[in-house]
Amino acid sequence: MKTLKNALKAREISSLIFLITIFLLVGAINPNFLQIKNLFLIFNGSIVYVLLAVGIAFVIISGEIDVSIGATLGLSAAVSATLLRDGNSWIVAVIAALIVGATVGLINGIGVTILKVPSIIMTLGINGVVRGLSYVYTNGKWVENVPYAFKSISQATMLNSLTYFFSGALVVVFIVHMLLNKTGRGRYFAAVGDNQCGAQLIGIPVDSTKIKAFIICGIFAAIAGVIYVSRVGFVTPMAGNGYEMKAIAACVLGGISLTGGLGTVVGAAIGAVIMSSISRVLVFLQFSSDYDNTITGILLIIIVVADALIQRRVTENARRERLSARTLSDKGGYNNA
Amino acid sequence: MQVVEAPPIMDTMISVRGICKCFASNLVLKGIDLDVRSGEVVALIGGNGAGKSTLMKIIMGIYQQDKGDIFLSGEKVNLTKPALALAHGIYLVPQEPMLFPNMSVEENITLGFKDKKNELHTKILSIMEQLGWKLKLDRKADTLSIAEQQLVEILRGLLRNAKILILDEPTSSLTFNEVESLFTLIEDLKNKGISIFYITHRLTEVFEIATHVAIMRDGVITLKGPVGEFTKDDLIKGLLPPNTNLKTTQKSEVLDYTKLKPILELKNFTGYGFKDINLEVCSGEVLGVAGVVGAGRTEFATTIFGMDEFISGQVILDGEEITGLSTRTVLDKGLNYLPEDRHLNGIFKIGDAASNISSAHLRNLSKFFLNKKAEVALGEKYIKDFRIKVTGQNQIMGSLSGGNQQKIAIARVLSTSPKVVILDEPTRGVDAGARGDVYAIISQLKKQGVAVLLISSDFEEIVELSDRVVTMYQGRINHRFSKNQIDLDNLTAASFGVYEEENVQ
Amino acid sequence: MHKLLLKHKLLRWESGLIAILLSEIVIFGILNPKFLQTRVLMGSINDFISICIISLFVTFVLITGGMDIQAGSIVGLTSISLGVLWQDAGLNIWTAVVVAILIGALCGAISGFFVAFTGVQAMVVTLGGQFLYSGLALAVVNLSSSTAFEGISGYPKSFIMIGSGTFLGIPNQVVIFGVLIILGYVLLHKTNYGRYVFLCGINKKAAEYSGIRTKWIIMSTYMLSGMSASVAGIILTSYLGSARADLGKELTLPIITAVVLGGTSNLGGKGGVIGTALAAIVIGIMRFGLVMAGLSTQYLDIPIGVLLVVAVATRTVGSNTKLMKAISKRFKFKNA
Repeated sequence: MKTLKNALKAREISSLIFLITIFLLVGAINPNFLQIKNLFLIFNGSIVYVLLAVGIAFVIISGEIDVSIGATLGLSAAVSATLLRDGNSWIVAVIAALIVGATVGLINGIGVTILKVPSIIMTLGINGVVRGLSYVYTNGKWVENVPYAFKSISQATMLNSLTYFFSGALVVVFIVHMLLNKTGRGRYFAAVGDNQCGAQLIGIPVDSTKIKAFIICGIFAAIAGVIYVSRVGFVTPMAGNGYEMKAIAACVLGGISLTGGLGTVVGAAIGAVIMSSISRVLVFLQFSSDYDNTITGILLIIIVVADALIQRRVTENARRERLSARTLSDKGGYNNA
Repeated sequence: MQVVEAPPIMDTMISVRGICKCFASNLVLKGIDLDVRSGEVVALIGGNGAGKSTLMKIIMGIYQQDKGDIFLSGEKVNLTKPALALAHGIYLVPQEPMLFPNMSVEENITLGFKDKKNELHTKILSIMEQLGWKLKLDRKADTLSIAEQQLVEILRGLLRNAKILILDEPTSSLTFNEVESLFTLIEDLKNKGISIFYITHRLTEVFEIATHVAIMRDGVITLKGPVGEFTKDDLIKGLLPPNTNLKTTQKSEVLDYTKLKPILELKNFTGYGFKDINLEVCSGEVLGVAGVVGAGRTEFATTIFGMDEFISGQVILDGEEITGLSTRTVLDKGLNYLPEDRHLNGIFKIGDAASNISSAHLRNLSKFFLNKKAEVALGEKYIKDFRIKVTGQNQIMGSLSGGNQQKIAIARVLSTSPKVVILDEPTRGVDAGARGDVYAIISQLKKQGVAVLLISSDFEEIVELSDRVVTMYQGRINHRFSKNQIDLDNLTAASFGVYEEENVQ
Repeated sequence: MHKLLLKHKLLRWESGLIAILLSEIVIFGILNPKFLQTRVLMGSINDFISICIISLFVTFVLITGGMDIQAGSIVGLTSISLGVLWQDAGLNIWTAVVVAILIGALCGAISGFFVAFTGVQAMVVTLGGQFLYSGLALAVVNLSSSTAFEGISGYPKSFIMIGSGTFLGIPNQVVIFGVLIILGYVLLHKTNYGRYVFLCGINKKAAEYSGIRTKWIIMSTYMLSGMSASVAGIILTSYLGSARADLGKELTLPIITAVVLGGTSNLGGKGGVIGTALAAIVIGIMRFGLVMAGLSTQYLDIPIGVLLVVAVATRTVGSNTKLMKAISKRFKFKNA
């Protein structure tokens, strides 16, 4: 019971153990899997999802949801790619992308907090609008001819074959994790998601915390968009479509509870790596990578259901223990008489 | 009772003057004046809807008053949001602790502070040492008992250097020992010069812990002053509407038990929160179940009704065992239950009156398609019989008054024509007029030969309506009273576990 | 009779939708007179029949307070299963149709079971379902001798007629949609079951105290939406003449949009089938009309997204008295 409780305490640790177990198991069957080169390939391939998941983790931990990040990624990728293609410096492109992301996040945040539109509906609508805008912006055409110099950044590697992007992402995740968990203000996000009324009562600004979460989420989606441009080299109007679902799934796999208040960005990042490694795992086990989604779905359902059942059992037992404690035992008299 | 505009006094910790508050067109507070000095514990008592919580929420900055002023140490303040009240050293410990379940105790206490973590940590430790508490700071909040959660809430307040603590019914979900430790704590705080508002329903607590008392009824303070100036009877008088005379509660006649047969029998019924319950209820009888909150009354009723697992024993309804059956089956066998918490379990708030009344009986009206005609007829019948004030059967439940909501909830319970009805707090949050109607309904049921199990924390209600009473104390039935033994003193004593047989005569 | 007050509001909502629908027809008619031909108008439904059919029954799920984002993936799974059952397993096409509908029901039942009996958020379970069923669809392709790209085709004429035939001059798809609207309407608003769906959404605990089997009711709504997704999958397969695993992939967002735009609250307890049907048609006609007017369908997400947000915002802001007061105050201030 104690180990179980401890495991629950550090949910991202169990995700990490899960990730390592998969890797070792697959490695046992096919040792090639554990070659550094392959592992780095997985890590490098997961970077877009890692960033999306870390961003959306803020929103989910605050007790909301954002299904517009796929479109936000698409639009900011299109904007930055166009700017790069037209010969602007990468700084301009990145700043433009960040503005796009922050704006979308701000709109989502205002809609959810001030207009009180449920976040799933708000971001669903905004998802449509943003996706439509990327069609308007690109005229429905692909954005190609991104300068080679920019594309090559994604290939630049350090320490054998780990890309700068991925190491950068690692640093970002670490810094964000520290900010979120070790600073008073960082904990506001979790507090708002954990118990909104309680947060209000001790003077935490609930609305502005949520708006911040949406803006951060948008910004991360925008960064993911820029990296997408560098990695892929061109942007279709549908770029990033459906990524929001993968990012949410990654968060769940990483131990973040969709009811809010529980989980860390490190967990989200680990979840994203698990998500994006599944197809490679399948290849190394000589299955078709077509089963990618099936496995993700099964994992997702098993994890959340098991989690819910364990949690329910814990609270139910606590409730019963408490009720039983109120009842006098057979021998006990009235202790206050 | 006359509201005289008293000037704020300089030596008070907090003074409120002429506070009025209106919700929709409903005047909830009608000019409240109250002073609390350093080290005073003011017990605030009053029935549901008297306005206690509203007043406290205004002081906490959750609501804003329509009229009136709040003075802190003689200075007028404008508390427009909780953060401001907090900054002024006011802290509210809500009835249900509002902790962050997924965070550690320490985080729960320190969240919202801008100070250094280490400093806060040592501060908490020193406060706990001063008070002599032991609580592991790294425990997760959802593993705490309610009493421990309350400690955390109070620690939060103390760490903020709260000078004014508001405790909203702190003992309502505590066990006896927990209550004692809470009282020791309040004594400590009192000595440290902290002012406390203590909201409670339990008169005994007032004399035990409070220095002053204020009674609220219908948005005004009817009585206030140092505790020593009042007796228990004074307080009860202050709580009752002006013209009620305590002694005139008329009792119905003693039933002839030789003619009655038991319809519901419990044999050593044991579950979570109650143990070895043995009782019989006869058709045409009202059996009162008295006890304090947390004595296990609701738990044993909901377990009979199939809402929780039982541990052992038997429930026999009309000769047939119904132990551990599903709610639906129990309902079909002829037992129905009126839930204690109306809003949580009793009504469909955005549904209309008709669908609320028919919800339990719908499947008996027709097999597959809705039988609108029968549904309307059912609704009409109860609206007429129970004098439910609605604009029509299509009126939305949420727009009705508490009394009418409760009557509709009772109508739903009775719609299945049960042989046994368990009414759990049938008049909680109900105005005086509707209360009379509910009593009339219960008498009517008795006449029709329905067995009624009446669970209530309002002992006067039990005295007035019951033919026999059992009292529950810490999960067991500790005393049984026959008709001529039923009176307020006996029930109160028994419910608090201090009844002695010799007292009977 | 029931919920007249509520219905009153809904009625207003629904007449608003009808007004939008009529203005759409007028505007598009002016832009392109061909649009007003009955045949064209009716034929347009082919493009959005899936949204129409599925959203009707996803309405049930939302009324119980749930969420269903997996229905789209069941469309593809049904379609490809139908093809494989017929071509590779050699079943009679009509038997295959029945089995396909059962598969949809089963998919719904699995997710519904987890939602109702374990208390996991519906959003997460159906997100898992979305991955699972779209993944299974690909797996089913591997059972077949055909590849995912070409799909399975060559169906008997009688089957093809489901999607492309007419009945008394009305396209079969319109007829099927009509029948399903009536079915959904009667089930939701005229039966005890439908009432229970509402009651579960308003207050699940109170429903349990009324002896209603809330868990089964909740689970069943997911089965209904799963079955409706299969029906959509069958119609699409018939209309396109080919079974494909990737059908319905993009439907999730339009379905939820249609349901919510139709007046159903995603918090449960409120809503109706007629509103959903109207909203689905509004969305569909807008899509079709803009295409006829020479616009790319992709732009459409903008007005639909705005419509969704504005519709819900007016609903929530309208019920938020505090905000309304603040707005009116500011307004007066400006006037003064």
